[in-house]
Amino acid sequence: MNFNRYPPLISLFGLLLCTSLFSAVIQAENNPVDEPTLVENDDDMFDDDFDDDFSDDFDDDFDDAPPPLVIHDPLEPLNRGMFWFNDKLYFYALKPVAKTYRYIPEPIRISLSNFLSNLTTPIRFVNALMQGKVNDAGNEMGRFFINTIVGVGGLFDPARKYVGLRKKEEDFGQTLGVLGIKPGPYLVIPFVGPSNTRDGVGYVVDTLTDPIGIVWQGRDYWAVKVTDTVNQISLDKDTYEAITGDALDPYLFVRDAYMQNRAGKVNK
Amino acid sequence: MILKILRTGFLLLFLAGSSPIIAEEDPKTQLKSTIDAILDTLRNKKLATDERQKKITDLINDRFDFAKMSQQTLAINWKKASKEQKNKFIELFAKSLQSSYMGRLEAYTNETVEFTKEKIKNKKAKINTLIITKTIEIPINYKLHNKNNKWLIYDVVIEEVSLIRSYRSSYQNIVKKEGIEGLLTKMEKKLAGAS
Repeated sequence: MNFNRYPPLISLFGLLLCTSLFSAVIQAENNPVDEPTLVENDDDMFDDDFDDDFSDDFDDDFDDAPPPLVIHDPLEPLNRGMFWFNDKLYFYALKPVAKTYRYIPEPIRISLSNFLSNLTTPIRFVNALMQGKVNDAGNEMGRFFINTIVGVGGLFDPARKYVGLRKKEEDFGQTLGVLGIKPGPYLVIPFVGPSNTRDGVGYVVDTLTDPIGIVWQGRDYWAVKVTDTVNQISLDKDTYEAITGDALDPYLFVRDAYMQNRAGKVNK
Repeated sequence: MILKILRTGFLLLFLAGSSPIIAEEDPKTQLKSTIDAILDTLRNKKLATDERQKKITDLINDRFDFAKMSQQTLAINWKKASKEQKNKFIELFAKSLQSSYMGRLEAYTNETVEFTKEKIKNKKAKINTLIITKTIEIPINYKLHNKNNKWLIYDVVIEEVSLIRSYRSSYQNIVKKEGIEGLLTKMEKKLAGAS
């Protein structure tokens, strides 16, 4: 694969990312909406402990069911455009490449995934610490040492297989969320996917501090990132198709699913 | 002495008699039997495709409470709907959930499902499972309620994403613009296109 063709694409992406972030911030400033995102509702009764939780309001009487997840999406027309773009990018560029890429034996692809994931351990470690999740931080550190030493520089994942230490996904967007920062307006970032103002900032910070960026710089970094993405899609079982294929309005479904997923991760 | 034996005997009889009630199956056992049966059916290569689908659909119908799910999905629009609309919605919603749930399980036929946590309170239960793939774990949590001594699923939460919630907000958006009839037409079209 020749990655020399990517840089223009990448800078375009950077530019778009910046503009969409800025516009979102400006929008947010002009428009200081009451807390934008989640209106906690009924289902949450399950998430905490059970004290008074399984109350009957859930049971027979749905009339007073609280409104569903309310998401602040002032940029919806623009976001829909970006969603359309990403959707086409997925189906016409990433997916075909990933399909071809599947000719590479799966163990090799899994090892590549393990290797890159092992390199990014510091991001997860630091963010777990910043969120006060000491156990998860220890978990990530343990994984890093075991997989680097026993797992041949991270190519294999003996920490998961033999020690039962499973990866904890942590990023800066989650840390900001734990610190009490609200998600802000929903954003669809070209080449990146669904996000929001907070997680978009988180994404930029994670990218700037990405250890992979120390090993590979400039173009090489983005080449590695694109390879990683294609590799992940090749290992994935068509989740995106399944989600968007069943939905009457894929944009709304993905928006909702993304916001729920992030809220769930922050509250974990 | 005889009295004592008699009393013990009575006590034993009483206990024995009551034990079937105590041994009523817990939600985890019931859920596990359904998931295992679906996975077994998916792995069974001898079955013809439509036969397999029929079997899985039956298994899903037996374990999901589609009426309750429909009610919660339509939320405030539920009471606005007529009886025919409600029934139509339940039918269409059940079909679309069946196919998406089946499709997802199908993708992970060869992975193991681990039951991690269970919480039961009164007539409700939440059972957490993990699908262990070669690289990641996918958390799938089931919410069940007890209806006539049977535990039925009324929501599935995958990676923190509740099916009911996701459908609810997108359906609400459609109902707002096109009414319940519009939603039903769209669902019908989608199902016709999918199969």
